[in-house]
Amino acid sequence: MAGKKKRTPNLQNDSWVVVAADSVINTKKHDSDPTFVRLRNPATDGASLYLLGSGDTQLYEVKAFEEDFHSWFVGQIVNRDGRLLFVTPMDPLYLILPYLIKSGNEGKFQPVHQVVMDEEFPACSRLLSCTRAQASLHHIAEEKEVGSQKFYRYSQERTMNWLKKKVERIVVALKKKNISVGEGVKSSTYVRAQIKSEDQEDDYLRYAHGLISEYICEDLSKAFLKHLGLPELTSPKETEPPSKKRKLSDKPVEAGEDYTKFNSADFARKPPKKMTAAQKSLAKVDKSGMKTMSSFFSPKVKAEKK
Amino acid sequence: MSGYRMSCNNTVTHLQVSSVGQAKQEPVHLLPCEIEHNGPAKVSEFFTSTTKDHKQEKTVSFRGRGLKGQEIALPQGYTGLVLKEINKPGSDQEDRTVRASSVFDSLTYWNLETPPNSDDPVVMAMDWPELADAIHGPVAD
Amino acid sequence: MDLSPFEANNSVSCRLVSQIPDVCRTEDCCLGIDEAGRGPVLGPMVYGICFCPVSKKEELKDSKVADSKTLSEEERENLFQKLDEAKSYVGWALQILSPNTISTSMLQRTKYNLNALSHDTAIDLIQYALDSGVQLKEVFVDTVGPAEKYEQKLSQRFPGIDVTVRPKADSLFPIVSAASICAKVARDRVVKGWNFTEDLGEVDTDYGSGYPNDPKTKAWLLKYLDPVFGYPQFVRFSWSTAQTLMDSKAVTVHWDDDEEAGEKAAQRQNNRSMLSYFSAAVGGGDQSAPHQTHRFFTERKLKSVDAL
Repeated sequence: MAGKKKRTPNLQNDSWVVVAADSVINTKKHDSDPTFVRLRNPATDGASLYLLGSGDTQLYEVKAFEEDFHSWFVGQIVNRDGRLLFVTPMDPLYLILPYLIKSGNEGKFQPVHQVVMDEEFPACSRLLSCTRAQASLHHIAEEKEVGSQKFYRYSQERTMNWLKKKVERIVVALKKKNISVGEGVKSSTYVRAQIKSEDQEDDYLRYAHGLISEYICEDLSKAFLKHLGLPELTSPKETEPPSKKRKLSDKPVEAGEDYTKFNSADFARKPPKKMTAAQKSLAKVDKSGMKTMSSFFSPKVKAEKK
Repeated sequence: MSGYRMSCNNTVTHLQVSSVGQAKQEPVHLLPCEIEHNGPAKVSEFFTSTTKDHKQEKTVSFRGRGLKGQEIALPQGYTGLVLKEINKPGSDQEDRTVRASSVFDSLTYWNLETPPNSDDPVVMAMDWPELADAIHGPVAD
Repeated sequence: MDLSPFEANNSVSCRLVSQIPDVCRTEDCCLGIDEAGRGPVLGPMVYGICFCPVSKKEELKDSKVADSKTLSEEERENLFQKLDEAKSYVGWALQILSPNTISTSMLQRTKYNLNALSHDTAIDLIQYALDSGVQLKEVFVDTVGPAEKYEQKLSQRFPGIDVTVRPKADSLFPIVSAASICAKVARDRVVKGWNFTEDLGEVDTDYGSGYPNDPKTKAWLLKYLDPVFGYPQFVRFSWSTAQTLMDSKAVTVHWDDDEEAGEKAAQRQNNRSMLSYFSAAVGGGDQSAPHQTHRFFTERKLKSVDAL
């Protein structure tokens, strides 16, 4: 019978289905071709794929939409790799920021090209040719001009203000797209309208903060959360408003208690080895419990997530 | 694996923009199964010709399984490209090159038996460019 | 018998019916049920009912409708003519289950086996007769499965009707034989004139009986196997003959509900859901600290990429 065959790895993949901002392909004639480059991802500190276009003046991020067990038909061709790669314009400051923060520890003003250097990611210096990079450095650094040369020193204060403006923009977009940001069950348990709207604003802020945290390191993310006046969440129980808690206890989450420890931010930040061990132990757990676990995290029970 | 990844940080992949103009506009379908094949298939003969179009929903079957799908437009300001690697280099120290082999402005995705729905992940994923613009667009001074 | 409603869309199931004779609405009637084309790997399975007043049973016998399996195709066509001539007191209805319906039902996520499909079809047809005002008193059913259980099921479903389920009922009860003839004639015609919706050009129609052990059928299945799509919808993908040929000659296709050594797959899935929740920047390079991806991205199945 079909389906019993093991999946073989797709080693020979040589084509990708992509959705790209029009600006990627609408380049001027004399521009060099856009290039996919690997740069240091500020949130993970690992490598991620980006694209430099329009003669290195525009940075793009590459994100993959990926569901297991998918493939494409493209015209009269099968493309086994079912991912859809999004190539979206990206603010280069997010990638420059970690380098400035690092050099900021020395406390002195420096030319930016001396700061944005990375042996592991040689392409990172190309970030400085992005139109928006040099022109917007003042959002994250203090600037000094000596003669024709500019010198920069990281400023957390400026960075916070910059990120705050980002958050405001994001909140507008979230509302416009009607994206559900609530942590809890959308409930009638909120009686007083005022509390409800305040709470919703906080939900939007926190959600926007979460999105930005995909582009900044953990320390900065924490500092920014404080700056926004939002409390840090450590475990779901402590942070749920009582009304939400009650709502949740209606759900069949028998196994929930055993797993709450995995739900804390601390757990997620443990080194990778621990993570693997945890997964191993999870694999051994009684499956009925696991089932509850997955429903526990499923998007429909959003209240559980943080 | 990690050694390979480290070394290829030095290399880049060029996207031949001139190829986009020559690339053919082609229908693309996202299927709810993994087909262990990269290469030609009689898609129009077997698939397109048997697809039934209802109001909000298309139906077809693949390998005897019932699929339900819908066509969705790409986000405004975005173009679909199928990139293909050309002249794959012999070593991972050399730059690579991809060119556009097809272009598209909408895609049809298929669910296994489930009617298409605005909660389908691929539909939700189309939110990304607009949110990305909010995250990455310039802010006022 | 006008097959055009089915031929207009042969990928779905279709019901064809005769006029209901007036006498069937006023007199006690008997009804026979039989099926045609259960075994073949090709073409539809047809369910037929035939009904007439109990008082006309003898006349039916005289018209020499007998077990359709013992008849040639030509004889069946002639007998169908006779039934048609008796339309003042004999009515019929057919349910054509397209091969695509059979494939997609049997291969459904929640499997719908052929027996359940058959029983449901039979029940629907009896209900159709009742809804049309036929005064049903006796129902005779041919079966391949265990008769008692099926008989019990139908009796419970249709209280007040005397249900008889028998193996080889088509050779025992003329009304079943009549139903059998209707079903077989329809299947023969459909298979003979199959309209391939696939764009295959001239298709060789020498597919034999359609039974998996028929060398002609086997040769046809080999000839028309496509490495990606497998077969046109004329073939029942759920038949092991088709599955085996695709397993050996077509590319492998994996679905999210594939049976993989059971427990392992379940574990893998659970692990996967755990992983996607924490989404520890998978593949983000070895030195990267685990980073919890925001739910905006996990809900949309979006993740960073580290290489093309």
